Amino acid sequence: MEEDFELLAKFKKGDQHAFELLVRKHKITVFNTIYSIIGNAQDAEDIAQEVFLKVYTKAGSFKGKSSFSTWLYRITVNKCLDELRKRSNKIISYETEFNEEEKLKLKDVLASREKDSTEELRQKELQDIIQKAMNSLPEKYRIILTLKEIEGLSYNEISQIMKISIAKVKIWLFRARQKLKGKLTFFYPQGE
Amino acid sequence: MSCKKFRLLLSAYLDQEITKDEEEKLLEHLKKCADCARELEYLKEIKRVFLLKERKEPQEFFETRLFARIKNKEKQPIGQGYFSVFRKSILVILIFFLLIVGWVNYKKFFYHRPTEVISDLLIDTQLEENFEEELLEIYYGPLG
Repeated sequence: MEEDFELLAKFKKGDQHAFELLVRKHKITVFNTIYSIIGNAQDAEDIAQEVFLKVYTKAGSFKGKSSFSTWLYRITVNKCLDELRKRSNKIISYETEFNEEEKLKLKDVLASREKDSTEELRQKELQDIIQKAMNSLPEKYRIILTLKEIEGLSYNEISQIMKISIAKVKIWLFRARQKLKGKLTFFYPQGE
Repeated sequence: MSCKKFRLLLSAYLDQEITKDEEEKLLEHLKKCADCARELEYLKEIKRVFLLKERKEPQEFFETRLFARIKNKEKQPIGQGYFSVFRKSILVILIFFLLIVGWVNYKKFFYHRPTEVISDLLIDTQLEENFEEELLEIYYGPLG
């Protein structure tokens, strides 16, 4: 974290290389967060560029009240919300229901806890299945699950990024998991 | 505490975001409630699903494309890009100024006129004379 502040301070003084280092350090985090929320790799790439463009232009306004990563996540989440709102005006539909083949694959992967020769291929398929389940959730649940499950952030960090109380973080995560459970019931031994 | 409240705690328990006291109560409840214990297993499975999700990387030359975009933005002529924000601000101020000028003129030509007409009607010489007589009576007693 200290390193981020130092790099940002150098960038504010005109050191372009410091900005490059910040991008290199955080690009995978930013890209994965966006991909998990938006559900499309090409769009995630474009939005990630927008995020760093904003960091480049707004670095001067960052006062350091929060950590750099919290600020970066906040910009990322806001850019995702902008994109989702733009999309709500267009008809973009992602397939969110699982077919029988996908259900079997997910069951299969979850049943085998050991790696085998076809692991890589199955992993790829599993990514698509998880993403499909995520795409079916309302935007706030997609965001909160991403920040918790993909990024592993604490409730306190999530509350700062989403500007909601910790109590709300608890409730939204609970509801998000309930909704996701509803989508993935087919692989539970006794679905509710 | 009801099962519904314990379910809410389960989610936070999974994230290790509950107090020691809450944890003790929850673990005690889980010993007695099979439904909540099963729910915890479901939630653990969901967490495992996410752990299986691998981290993706953006395409090659991400930084190169980004710096090209930054350069492009910086090269934009005045009136585009960042300067357009300034231009929009000027437009807002201009509209605000025109509204104020319009309102002042409206008050001057339309709002004040009825007041003047009313005051004209009030200037009645006979009424004024009576008023003066009444004042004299107040100060010096009845005339005559």
